[in-house]
Amino acid sequence: MKGKIGIMWLVVGIPLLWGVYKTLQNALKLFQ
Amino acid sequence: MTSGFFSRESTVAPPGFNRFQVPPAALAVHLCIGQVYAFSTFNLPLTKLIGITQSAPGDWNLKEVGWIFSIAILFLGSSAALFGRWVERVGPRLSMFVSALCFGGGFMVSAIGIHIHQLWLVYLGYGVLGGCGLGVGYISPVSTLIKWFPDRPGMATGMAIMGFGGGALVAAPLSVLLMKHFATPKSAGVMETFVTMGAMYFIFMMIGVFSVRVTPPDWKPEGWAPSSQPKGLITSANVAVDVAWKTPQFWLLWMVLCMNVTAGIGVLSQASPMIQEMFSGQITAITAASFVGLLSLFNMGGRFVWATASDYIGRRNTYMIFFVLGIALYASVPTLGHSGSRALFTAAFCIILSMYGGGFATIPAYLRDVFGTFQVGAIHGRLLTAWSVAGVLGPVLVNYIRQAQIDSGVPKAQAYSVTMYIMCGLLFIGFLSNLSMRAVNPKYHFKGDTRAASDGGGH
Repeated sequence: MKGKIGIMWLVVGIPLLWGVYKTLQNALKLFQ
Repeated sequence: MTSGFFSRESTVAPPGFNRFQVPPAALAVHLCIGQVYAFSTFNLPLTKLIGITQSAPGDWNLKEVGWIFSIAILFLGSSAALFGRWVERVGPRLSMFVSALCFGGGFMVSAIGIHIHQLWLVYLGYGVLGGCGLGVGYISPVSTLIKWFPDRPGMATGMAIMGFGGGALVAAPLSVLLMKHFATPKSAGVMETFVTMGAMYFIFMMIGVFSVRVTPPDWKPEGWAPSSQPKGLITSANVAVDVAWKTPQFWLLWMVLCMNVTAGIGVLSQASPMIQEMFSGQITAITAASFVGLLSLFNMGGRFVWATASDYIGRRNTYMIFFVLGIALYASVPTLGHSGSRALFTAAFCIILSMYGGGFATIPAYLRDVFGTFQVGAIHGRLLTAWSVAGVLGPVLVNYIRQAQIDSGVPKAQAYSVTMYIMCGLLFIGFLSNLSMRAVNPKYHFKGDTRAASDGGGH
């Protein structure tokens, strides 16, 4: 059960983290 | 009633089920439908479908294309209000599936519209069909999450609604990547991107459909005992959806949401030109886009942080912070703009946008406190009409007042000052509405068996 939950969180977490990373990457330009 | 795989009965969790499997199921849906916030990435490419590199005669213009988003938001609010009771009755699995069909299907119908260059098909596809997918998908996991996390409803719904904010962060770079991948000298790649995204979103939302579970009857978290006595605004009773919206509390909360969203959405819709005009010569269009991205990040983060905080400090207090701090920050914006401090200006708007997101994410738990869990999803759906109103009111206020200021000779850098003070006024109305909140009069409480009413749809 715990493994299944871990996979579920990874499935939704990876795209979300990718989106956050891309946004932060762009946001840094504001302070350069 | 539905039977088989999609029925509410077949989604009842087995013994030993871990409730932390439900938030990712809800996130799978909200991460997809949150794409709507990034729809503007398609605006310019949709105006160059014939000319490819630039608009040609016969191409759609920006104003026409802008209606796609507006129709989608209008149908989001309407469908959430109309189908809320149905969502409560059939349960989260079937409603998530219908949402996936509508949202994914909306992309497909729009792709046909783009292919044959018929704008009405895009309005119908993404706007109407996709908009219904947005509305049904938005409310479908809310009451399920509240029932799984009666001890932390703010955190649970905050997680899901955070996904809606995060969906734009994923969709914006994804759309750009896909259009770049599919672009050829003869095509901007928009149609192919729509087909791919429609299929991807449908599959991703199906993860939520397969994994969502509802609570067994009378389930409660281990070691947690519901309070039998009402505590402040928190009721131990239930109010049915058709009765709820006849109570003053519903309309006070409607105003709370509408005012909070109007202030935030007005800024969000004009964030890019606003920072460029207020810091004229210092901020380019690219830097302004970074500013908008940062605001989206805080919009997303605020959904989780503020909704979770509301479990500890109370729902009314959380909104009090939104309104009091919001008024202080909006009032300080003109001064911060004149001072030339980009960092302070950005920080003020990041906090404002975190409270905008927080307002969306905290409202389901507020509704649960006031009206109970019985039909909280349907009540939430009806309350979302405040979002539709705010979606029109906010941008219109910011745009029209800015234009009126410029027309009367005010320099562009100062054209937003009056708007900011008007936003303070709106937030003050929200503050008063929140301050007026009292527990629902017991005469409105549901007297029957809530379980029988939910199962039989007898309402």
